[in-house]
Amino acid sequence: MMGYSFNHFDPMDLMVETFTLENYVKFFSDEYYRKVFISTLGVAALCTVFALVLGFPVAYFLAKTQSRYKSLFIVLLVFPLMVGNVVRAAGWMVILGNVGVVNATLMWLGITDEPIKFMYTPFAVIVGTTAVVMPYMILTLQSVLEGIDFSVEEAAQNLGATFATTFRRVVLPIAAPGVAAGTMLVFILCMNAYATPVLLGGTGLTMMAPSLYDQIAKASNWPFGAAMALVLIVTTLLLATLSNWLIHRNYVKTMGA
Amino acid sequence: MSSVAASNISAATAPKVRRRVRWSSLLHRVFVCMMYFFMLSPLIFVVWMSFFVDAIPHFPPSGYTLKWYESAWQNSSFMNGLVLSFQVAAVASITGVILGVAAALGIVRNGFLGSKFVNTLLLSPLLIPGIVAGIAIYLFYMRAENVLDTDIVGTFGGLVIAHVCLTIPWTVRLVSTGMAGLDPSIEEAARNLGASSWAAFRRVTLPMLRPSIVAASLFSFIVSFENLELSLALVGPGKTTLPIAIMQYLEFNLDPTIAAVSAVQILLLGIVMLVTDRFVKLSQVV
Repeated sequence: MMGYSFNHFDPMDLMVETFTLENYVKFFSDEYYRKVFISTLGVAALCTVFALVLGFPVAYFLAKTQSRYKSLFIVLLVFPLMVGNVVRAAGWMVILGNVGVVNATLMWLGITDEPIKFMYTPFAVIVGTTAVVMPYMILTLQSVLEGIDFSVEEAAQNLGATFATTFRRVVLPIAAPGVAAGTMLVFILCMNAYATPVLLGGTGLTMMAPSLYDQIAKASNWPFGAAMALVLIVTTLLLATLSNWLIHRNYVKTMGA
Repeated sequence: MSSVAASNISAATAPKVRRRVRWSSLLHRVFVCMMYFFMLSPLIFVVWMSFFVDAIPHFPPSGYTLKWYESAWQNSSFMNGLVLSFQVAAVASITGVILGVAAALGIVRNGFLGSKFVNTLLLSPLLIPGIVAGIAIYLFYMRAENVLDTDIVGTFGGLVIAHVCLTIPWTVRLVSTGMAGLDPSIEEAARNLGASSWAAFRRVTLPMLRPSIVAASLFSFIVSFENLELSLALVGPGKTTLPIAIMQYLEFNLDPTIAAVSAVQILLLGIVMLVTDRFVKLSQVV
């Protein structure tokens, strides 16, 4: 597959074996593909941040709770992961569609007179993808938070630290490995997302995975599709490693000091 | 003791603080519920819509019916998809579990040279986008077809082999976790008492691993059944799996029929998941 990316695409012969970088040059110089690339990065970054910020309180709750329904909470978290992205995307189509739940509610409340277009916008993709990846984030964070001795946190508060200080100086550094792992996992999943962007983004927002599949399956441009795949994998790896390194540098080091 | 001392010191402020704590914890709970709703709402609404009377759905519906389940049942592409997905998932999970148990045994028990590398390798398919993996397997099959002179792409076997690749990492992970909790001295005791190594494995180790193995098979079943990306490049014309059939339908329309099909998938995988949870706590798996 990697080898293919250096081949030349010819509409007649489809693929000519050579060694050329033209596919990569085309990818980074073409306005359209640059936009696809940037919007993929943007969506993945936003969804990762949302999943982290919204998921952290949930993971914190799960780690701390003594409730006997805890295993039920976990099952409810794993459940959406198991039913598949396609079905979840279908659900979001029901919710965000022009006659969907949200629009029906808004119109019933009299907030708008005509449906707001949610489907096939970046908004829909971000909402859908965040919901898809959030359980992964929560589970990763929860497994790390579970190991925290919460008396440390109480001690900090007894010593007069405010909630914000305790969180920033005590909880977050201990949770840093979990945050790093969760961020990395979720970022990779967002970058590689296929079903959600296709169904919720339509032509309104194109991401890398659907776009490279189209190149190969519909345009039969194997070399270019392969180049896109390689760009996607390498970028994902680089950024995931970078974020992992940053989190470790900023927090794990302070723990040691 | 300490709480008494603390309440003596800040007797005046204590009630106030406690109330604030209670408020914030209530808010926290409300937030957690909202997030759960956010994650589960697509499933809830899709199941709800499958009961709508109206063919062009709108909220709230004018009535409820079960007729869409019937029409989904009669739709051959969904029906065939369901059957194919079921067959592929069943065969792939059984094959995957047999190979995965062997791999886990090798990795955990005999720490051979590079076993750590194999372990990382097995756990890293996540890094490659499913869609790219599917295309790569497709290419590999094309080459193999040229050499072996048989059809692989679009066949049941080809799809199953790809799905086995998908399920093995999960099996290895589950079974090696289960194995880590086992005491190897029990197997040694069996050996000392004269059991052959095969008998010791079959009569001692295997029964102890049963929960992990059952969980691994069920989990593999789910992973294979719901997979879309890997299958997309590998299915033959007219022979699609259920997620692909749903996807293709959804690209053009959204109606209660597709909601009913989705609800069937949710129900089926939900049951498998609940059974899995009885054997291995799901929180330790994912």
